[in-house]
Amino acid sequence: MTLHGIVFAAIVAFSPATVLGQGAIAPQFTLKDINGRTVRLSDYQGKVVLINFWATWCPPCRAEMPDLVRLQREHGKQGLQIIGLTYPPERKTRVRRFARSLKVNYPIILGTREIKTRFSSEETLPLTVVIDRDGKVSDIISGILLREEFEEKIKPLLKKNMEGEMRNAKSDH
Amino acid sequence: MRSRITSLVVSVVLVLTFGVITAAAFTKTVTIRVEGMKCAKCSASVTKALKATEGVEDAQVSSEKGEAVIKYDDQKLDETKLREVINGTGFKAVEEKKAQ
Repeated sequence: MTLHGIVFAAIVAFSPATVLGQGAIAPQFTLKDINGRTVRLSDYQGKVVLINFWATWCPPCRAEMPDLVRLQREHGKQGLQIIGLTYPPERKTRVRRFARSLKVNYPIILGTREIKTRFSSEETLPLTVVIDRDGKVSDIISGILLREEFEEKIKPLLKKNMEGEMRNAKSDH
Repeated sequence: MRSRITSLVVSVVLVLTFGVITAAAFTKTVTIRVEGMKCAKCSASVTKALKATEGVEDAQVSSEKGEAVIKYDDQKLDETKLREVINGTGFKAVEEKKAQ
């Protein structure tokens, strides 16, 4: 191994944060949600997907969930799709009870370490991976998703296709 | 000419001094005890939410000590608002330890 190779390997091995960089194609997965429905990331191609890693025992995760429910309700028609993945793995009954109490309106999946590390090695919770309409990682938001971050990092992605659709609709007429 | 330059320099120094004193007068530091901050993984949200709040100049949050040390502009916000921000992250701001 060359010196450059050793240095690169060391950087990768000791890098504490993100595994995926901006613009990387999001890793695909097929998993069952807590209601037994199959969730494939590929099913949401063309949508802006937020993969929210969370845990029932994590206070900020719990605090942001009502906001995520609201965002899904308000922006779902514009192509927003939130997917909740518990991390570390948790008991299904506990997660299901919690999700029901908050009337969560997006799929909740019991995550695994393997799935989590495909997206990020960062241990902060909550952690939200933003995937654009082309299936590329647009951002990884560490900690609670702030309103300003939604406006700045996610809303423009939602508008992108809306503008394209409006142009297409005009050209059809 | 020399007296003009001197008076100009004196004016600049006075303005800068007054500005620094005024800014320092508006900056306060408070330590707020935060309940429930047991996991270091989660406490990052408190720091993030505080730092994103207008008027907060710095925030050091320790999950080990269970407290947040916040430097803020008291012309823009007060402790009640800081407590609201902390409570909004799912933790509980309990009591003020000291204020400077």
